[in-house]
Amino acid sequence: MKRKPSRMILTLIVSLFVLSWGGYAFAEKPIIIGAPLSMAYLYGWTAERGIKLAVDEINAAGGVDVKGTKRPFQVEVIDTRDLEPGVPVSEALMAVERLILNKNADFIVGGPNRSEAALAAMSLLSKNKKISIVTSGVLTPAYHKTVEKEYDKFKYCFRIHGEAVNLIGEMIANFADLKEQYGFTKVFIIAQDVSHARGAAEVMAKVAGSKGFEVTGTEIFPTGASDFSMALIKAKDTGSQIINIWMDMPESAILLKQWYDMQIPALPFGSTLAAAEQPGFWKSTDGKGQFTLCNVVNAGNAPSEATEWTMKFYDAYTKKWGIEPEGLGASSSYMAVYALKDAVERAGTLDPDKVVTALEQTDMMGVYGKLKFDPKTHQVIPSTDPKEGAVGSILQWQDGKRVVVYPKSIAKGSIMLPPWMVKK
Amino acid sequence: MDILVYGTINSVSLALMGLGFAMVYGISRVPNFAHGALYIICGFVTWTLFQKAGLPYVLSIFLSLCVNGLLGMFMYRFILIRVRGMNISEIICSYAIGLAILEGLRWGGFRGMTNTLPVFMEGSFMLGGVPVDYHRLFLVVIGLLLLAGLWVFTHFTKLGLALQGMAQDEQAALMLGIDSDFMAMLAMGFGAVLAGIAAILILPLGNIVVESGYNVLIMSIAVCIVGGLGSWMGAFFAAFIIGFAQILTVVFIGSHFQMVVALMAIILTLILKPSGLFGRQKELEERV
Repeated sequence: MKRKPSRMILTLIVSLFVLSWGGYAFAEKPIIIGAPLSMAYLYGWTAERGIKLAVDEINAAGGVDVKGTKRPFQVEVIDTRDLEPGVPVSEALMAVERLILNKNADFIVGGPNRSEAALAAMSLLSKNKKISIVTSGVLTPAYHKTVEKEYDKFKYCFRIHGEAVNLIGEMIANFADLKEQYGFTKVFIIAQDVSHARGAAEVMAKVAGSKGFEVTGTEIFPTGASDFSMALIKAKDTGSQIINIWMDMPESAILLKQWYDMQIPALPFGSTLAAAEQPGFWKSTDGKGQFTLCNVVNAGNAPSEATEWTMKFYDAYTKKWGIEPEGLGASSSYMAVYALKDAVERAGTLDPDKVVTALEQTDMMGVYGKLKFDPKTHQVIPSTDPKEGAVGSILQWQDGKRVVVYPKSIAKGSIMLPPWMVKK
Repeated sequence: MDILVYGTINSVSLALMGLGFAMVYGISRVPNFAHGALYIICGFVTWTLFQKAGLPYVLSIFLSLCVNGLLGMFMYRFILIRVRGMNISEIICSYAIGLAILEGLRWGGFRGMTNTLPVFMEGSFMLGGVPVDYHRLFLVVIGLLLLAGLWVFTHFTKLGLALQGMAQDEQAALMLGIDSDFMAMLAMGFGAVLAGIAAILILPLGNIVVESGYNVLIMSIAVCIVGGLGSWMGAFFAAFIIGFAQILTVVFIGSHFQMVVALMAIILTLILKPSGLFGRQKELEERV
C-alpha cells in the first residue's frame, strides 16, 4: 500500500517535534520535591517561593547530576492549611501522604509548618522512608530531640533552620545588651497558644530568670484572640521594659498597634512574629511598627551581607517574586534545595539511606553561612559567625526599613528605643 | 477602670459583629452562616477601592457597604429563598456561600497580614488613667449610635415597623399586606450592611485576614444564642456579658481561656435557658 507523502511528512514533523521538545526540556525523569505547606500563611508561601527559586536556578544550570545523569527538580505543592486556626493535624498528614503516594515525591521539603503537624508527620515519613527537610515554621526543640532519641526510626527527618532554644539564646544575648546599655531587667512574655510558642515561652522564662532578668508575667493567648489590652496594661503596671512575643498569628498586628497606641514603655521583641517580618508591615501599621524587634530566624530573610550568597539570593528572590524575602522560610527553603542537590550528587543515587548519610556530611556555604547538620539530631548547626555555621537574624523596624541588629557579625545597625522610653 | 474601658470596647465590638446576624434571623428566620464572609468581603472591597483604585476613603466605605447590601439581597433572592423554611438547608446553603466567598478570596490572592484599613483618627488619650486610642472611642460611639438608630428605625419608620411585624409574626404580617419575601430580602441586605459596618470599624485595629471570617461567625452565633435568637437587644446585652466575661477571664484566670468563654456561654445558655436571655417567642414555644 502506498502511503501518502503528506501523512509521512506530518508524522516526521510530529516525531521531530516530540524528540526535540523532550530534548530541550529534560530527557531524564525529574526528581520530585513534595512541599506540604500552609499556603495562606507567610511561612507557607515564602517557603514555596524559596524552593521554586532554587529549583529554577538549578534546572537552568543543568539540573542535578545523579551519577553522570542530569535530572531536573520538579516541585509539587499541596496546601496543608496547618497554620490556620482550627485545622486539625490530620489535614497536614493527608497532604504529606498525598505527596508521597499520589505525587510520588522523592523528597519532602518545606513543611508541615506547624510544629504539632511536623511532629505527627515524622512517623509517616519514616514508614515511607522519605527524606524530609523542614524549612519553615517548625521551631519546637522536640523535633530534633525526637530524631536523637530514635535515630534509626526518624533518621529521614532534617531541619535546616534555627529552633526555639537557639532563638531564645539569640534573644537573651540582646536582652543582655539592653541590660548593659539601658539597665533593662524586667521581661513580660506574651505567647500564642500553640506548641512551639508555649514551649518557647516556658524556656524563655527559665533562661531569662537564670540570666538575672525578672519575668514579670506570662500571658498565653488563644489563636485568633483580637484584644491584648489587658496583657499590655499588666506589662506596664509591672514595670516591664521588654515584651517578649511568641506569636505567628495575623492578630499579632493588633497587639503591636495597641502597644504603639497605648505607648507601653516596654520594647516589643518578638520571634516568629510573622506580621512584623514582612516588608509590608510598615505600611499596614501606618508606621506603628516602628521599634518592633523581630527574630526572622535565618540571615537572608532580611537584608544583610552574611555571606556572598546572601544578597545574591535576596536580589534574585526580589526579582522573581516582585517582593523582598518576607520572613522565616525564604532563605532556608532555598538552601534546603541546594543542600539536597549537593547530597544527591555526592550520594550518586536517590536511595534514601545513602542520601541521609550524604546530608549528614553536608558542609557547604549558603545564604546564612556554613551549612552543616548535627549527625545525631539532624538539626542545622547554629553560630553567630557565618563562617562557622548557620547564623540567625534579628531585625528592628527603623523608619520604614528592616534593619538587622543581630548578630553583630552581620548587623546593619543597633537597637533604638521609642521616644516614650527614652529617659530625659 | 481598665476592665471597664476595655470591657466596654470589647463588648461593643462583639455587639457590632453579632447585630447583622441577629437582625437577619429575627426577621427572616434565616440563620445566615455567610455572615463572617460578608464581614471580610466588605473589608477587602473597601481596601481594594481605597488602596488599589485610589478612591477617597469615605467613598470607598460607602461603595463597599452598597456592594455588601446588594450581595446580601442577591444571596437571598437567588439562593436562600429556595430553601427558606428548611432549617438545615438554610444553614448548609448559607455556610456554603460563606465558604465559597472566603475560599474564593484566598484563591484570588487575598492572603497575608499586610492588608489593612486606616483608622478614622490617629492618636490616643487617657481615660481615667487608662490609655485608649481614638479609633476605639469611635468604635464605641458609632456602635452605640447604630444601635440607637436601629431602635428608632424599627419603631418609628414604616419600613422598620414592617420589618418588626415580620419578626413578630410573619403570617399576620402577610395578612396586613407586607410582602414577606421582599422584607426578608431587605433584612438580608441590612444584615450584610451591618456586617460591613462592623468590618469598617473593627478591621483598622488589625489587618484583613480571610480566616478571621470564621471567628466573626462563631462570635456572632455566640452573641445571638446567649441573647436569644432573633432578639437584637438580646444580642446587645449578650455581647456585654461575653465581652466583659472575656476581659475578666484575661485579668483573673488567664488569657489562655479567653476564647473558651464564648463557647462556654453557648453551652451554658443551651443547658439553662435554651431560648436565650431575650428570646421570648422561643420561650413561649418551650413552655407549650
